[in-house]
Amino acid sequence: MLLLQPENLLIEKTFTKALAVGYVPMTLDRIVTDFDFTAYHISTPQEKTGILLSVAIKCWNDLVAHGTTELLDTIYSKYSAFLQILSEDNAEPGYNYSLYIQLDKANLATEEEKFTLIKDLSLLKRNSFAAPFLEAFKKYTELAEEQPADPNNIYGEDSATRSDGKVIALNYRDRESIFIKPSNDRVTVIFSTIFSDETDRVFSKIFLQEFSDARKRSIQKAPQVINSHHEIPLEIQSLEKENNDNKSYITFVLFPRHLSTEEVQWNTITQIGTFRSYFHYHIKIVKCYLHQRMRFRVQSFTKVLNRARREVSEEEHKAERKTASGRRFEQRN
Amino acid sequence: MSQSLKPYLTAVRHTLNAALCLENFSSQIVERHNYPEIENKKTKEILLNPMIISRNEKERVLIEPSINSVRVSIKIKQSDEIEGILVDKFTRFLTKRAETFFILRRVPIEGYDISFLITNVHNEDMLKNKLVDFIIEFMEDVDKEISEMKLFLNARARFVAETYLSTFD
Repeated sequence: MLLLQPENLLIEKTFTKALAVGYVPMTLDRIVTDFDFTAYHISTPQEKTGILLSVAIKCWNDLVAHGTTELLDTIYSKYSAFLQILSEDNAEPGYNYSLYIQLDKANLATEEEKFTLIKDLSLLKRNSFAAPFLEAFKKYTELAEEQPADPNNIYGEDSATRSDGKVIALNYRDRESIFIKPSNDRVTVIFSTIFSDETDRVFSKIFLQEFSDARKRSIQKAPQVINSHHEIPLEIQSLEKENNDNKSYITFVLFPRHLSTEEVQWNTITQIGTFRSYFHYHIKIVKCYLHQRMRFRVQSFTKVLNRARREVSEEEHKAERKTASGRRFEQRN
Repeated sequence: MSQSLKPYLTAVRHTLNAALCLENFSSQIVERHNYPEIENKKTKEILLNPMIISRNEKERVLIEPSINSVRVSIKIKQSDEIEGILVDKFTRFLTKRAETFFILRRVPIEGYDISFLITNVHNEDMLKNKLVDFIIEFMEDVDKEISEMKLFLNARARFVAETYLSTFD
């Protein structure tokens, strides 16, 4: 598995089962975790046909400030016949947002409708994180209309006459954040990340170098990736005063091509959303592979060393164990 | 094999051949003790001159012979941060498995990455020329392995980056 899936597999499985023909309603109480300290709770609080799906996100307050509740409401209100949205104070205690699905009222005729519903439910985390991105993209469109980007500036060089929007900050993990900054010709997304292990940090340098080089080499359509290991990027210097934790900053520059249509925008959000997990996950995989490799190599060294040992054959061994009169020793076990 | 590697390995091979001339030797200080003399260095007259064979400032071998034991310490080439980490991981991996390696010393001598301690017992139940072969092969393979791992790391990083970035279409 190379790319991480944006949807939550366990939620997908649960609802695929629940919406299948011939589903026997049963009591559910599952706590499911996802990346970035996101937790889901799937339960049947009252009757067995009513499933409550709740989500808890670490940076919920940051997200709400940028209109997540409204976005989620628009996404999920089209199922209002059987799906009840419980937000803010109505949500399950300890969680930020809840959806109550009544299976007996669900009137989904085709498989396709079921599929979209399941998809929408399993993408709850991505949808929650989408709002600030969409806000930034909207701001970008406004700025671009006010002051169209120079069409000759195809390489994305900094122009003197750039107008910038406000930087949106999401503190999605304890000490790590995402910053989104709209401008008139681009949207900049900056991740700050910390490596607890020194080895991981060194490996991350190689990975980030390749991320930066990939665009120059082969994939021209990709966003530009800039990385800095200690220095705080200019865009967010007003928000991040000092870098005490040895943070690495990864900047994605999204060009108009990544923001052109709604479909492309959603794809961009989905991909950007999995970046941190993807990045950390692959560093771990590489370490794992190197470990396997060393194990194999050490085995081959042992073989070479064993070749050096003097061989004592079984017969020789037996022949030695005789007394002067010719009696043999029997070894006691 | 590069130009300077061959004479380097030949020099190590000859030195080891000469140094691995071991016999059983009981301690002169403590009665009924018999330990590798090179490790405690209390009996001066049975220690021989240590030798350093150096390929360049980053790669060298220290051979310390004595009457009943020889200590061989190897400094593996580390030209950058990554190689340093890989060498460290690899030698740690080896020293954790020192039991299966009979001649491996658990802790390397200071300033070196890995040490072997060959005693007269090892020399008795292993063939001397094969033992020397092992050390030479080890030196060759470690360098190869480290550079292969480094290449793999870069290739993998590139592959991972390209896969991720190609999803933005």
